[in-house]
Amino acid sequence: MSEIIVVTSGKGGVGKTTTTANLGVGFAARGKKVVLIDTDTGLRNLDLLLGLENRIMYDLIDVTEGRVPYKKALVRHKRHESLYLLPTSQTKDKSAVNSQQMNSLCNELIKDFDYVIIDCPAGIEQGFQTAISAADTAVVVTIPEISAVRDADKIIGELGRAEKDNIKLIVNRIRPDMVKKGDMLTMDDIDEILSIDCIGQIPDDELVVTSTNRGEPVITNPVSSAGKAYKNIVGRLCGENIPFMEIVPEGFFAKVKKIFKM
Amino acid sequence: MSEDVVFKGSRSGLQLIFDETVDFTSILKQLKTKLESAIDFFGKGTIVNVAIDKITKEQETELSILFQRYGLTLKAIDTSLPKVSELKSEEAAVEASKEITIIERTVRGGQEIISNGSVVILGNVNPGAKIIAGGNIDIKGTCRGLVHAGAFGDLTATITADKMLAMQIRIADLIARAPDNLETVDTTECARIKNGNIVIETVNRQEVC
Ligand SMILES: Nc1ncnc2c1ncn2[C@@H]1O[C@H](COP(=O)(O)OP(=O)(O)OP(=O)(O)O)[C@@H](O)[C@H]1O
Ligand SMILES: [Mg+2]
Repeated sequence: MSEIIVVTSGKGGVGKTTTTANLGVGFAARGKKVVLIDTDTGLRNLDLLLGLENRIMYDLIDVTEGRVPYKKALVRHKRHESLYLLPTSQTKDKSAVNSQQMNSLCNELIKDFDYVIIDCPAGIEQGFQTAISAADTAVVVTIPEISAVRDADKIIGELGRAEKDNIKLIVNRIRPDMVKKGDMLTMDDIDEILSIDCIGQIPDDELVVTSTNRGEPVITNPVSSAGKAYKNIVGRLCGENIPFMEIVPEGFFAKVKKIFKM
Repeated sequence: MSEDVVFKGSRSGLQLIFDETVDFTSILKQLKTKLESAIDFFGKGTIVNVAIDKITKEQETELSILFQRYGLTLKAIDTSLPKVSELKSEEAAVEASKEITIIERTVRGGQEIISNGSVVILGNVNPGAKIIAGGNIDIKGTCRGLVHAGAFGDLTATITADKMLAMQIRIADLIARAPDNLETVDTTECARIKNGNIVIETVNRQEVC
């Protein structure tokens, strides 16, 4: 059965686009047929992360406004042949697509694809409402900082209001050195506030940045710890029971327990 | 979004206050968003007062229609000359606070619950969430948000939480701020007014309700 996943966060710059690209490559590597939809209209960069910038002919708005059928706007990935991108426009703004258009587009796409993954813009304005409207599953990305966790909390509230009840959490950019010193929120601190199912803990990893620059998501890099974390997330989304990698040595949370004013 | 519109508890009931320098259509739009996000939480038939000298007749009609759609009743009151009958006596406030709204989930940042009566939350109240109740507030979970009990002047109202970590607590017209180095207590605590101050004591759940 096909699944529509939206990747969202509230706070900007926490790793939604990075996550979308990596999940896409991860599912495709398992032989799934995947389409990634960039809804961050005006600020598109999912194409960059996938190294597909120079292949774009049409965009999401051309499709929703009926100028071209969606198949014409899809860009196939160079190496992962079952992975496609539906890019967005760099010149329009986020109100150019509405929820109804998004729903009918996704209804078309699930006939052809195993996974539809939607990269959401930051914030809770109309662009967010449109991006989540068709989704079965919402993946909320946060980083271990108070402001990001609070925004994630708001987003989870908004998702609940839109009756999106299947919500998963990814905590990105965890820095073991800082967690050890008690300078960063721990998984327990985050769980206390958000209390939703966590499917991934991704370490902060320079290789994420270098692979972004090369247009090849980090999940394909066997030596990257973030890449491994993304592989595990893909497995968990496929329903596998995969234990969490040890980012911070066990027993540490118990010893260094600092109270954060959330 | 900027907060040009707020609901505030006052002795004469729930009050709508808005920035008059802001364009009225923008006020209506913000109000609509607010009502939409809080809508499951307003007790049905909640009366909202608005100062009569702040709005025109047309604006009053527009507000009335909008409120009606969300099950609320608008009452334009003359705040410059408070008639005694308009002000709820303390007994009346206590009477209204008897109805109970039960919320069976966590109230997340940005969500508001407003009720003329008492509110019971079966979940946490997260940072940035807001609970305004005419009566008591009882949180079977952790309270980190803004809580205001006895918002219409009931001095006997209480706020109970399994884990009280609120940055600020309000009962009737009194405000208590959390100490800067908040200690976590692992037992249920209850805030009430004693001798004109808000005091927080540990309690046994059985005794509370
Ligand atoms: N685990 C990680 N380790 C190191 N850097 C990371 C990691 N995850 C993301 N980054 C970097 O953080 C930056 C922001 O990531 P990304 O663009 O994916 O965020 P976003 O949530 O999509 O942002 P926006 O809200 O602007 O759309 C990028 O430069 C990315 O390379
Ligand atoms: Mg992005």
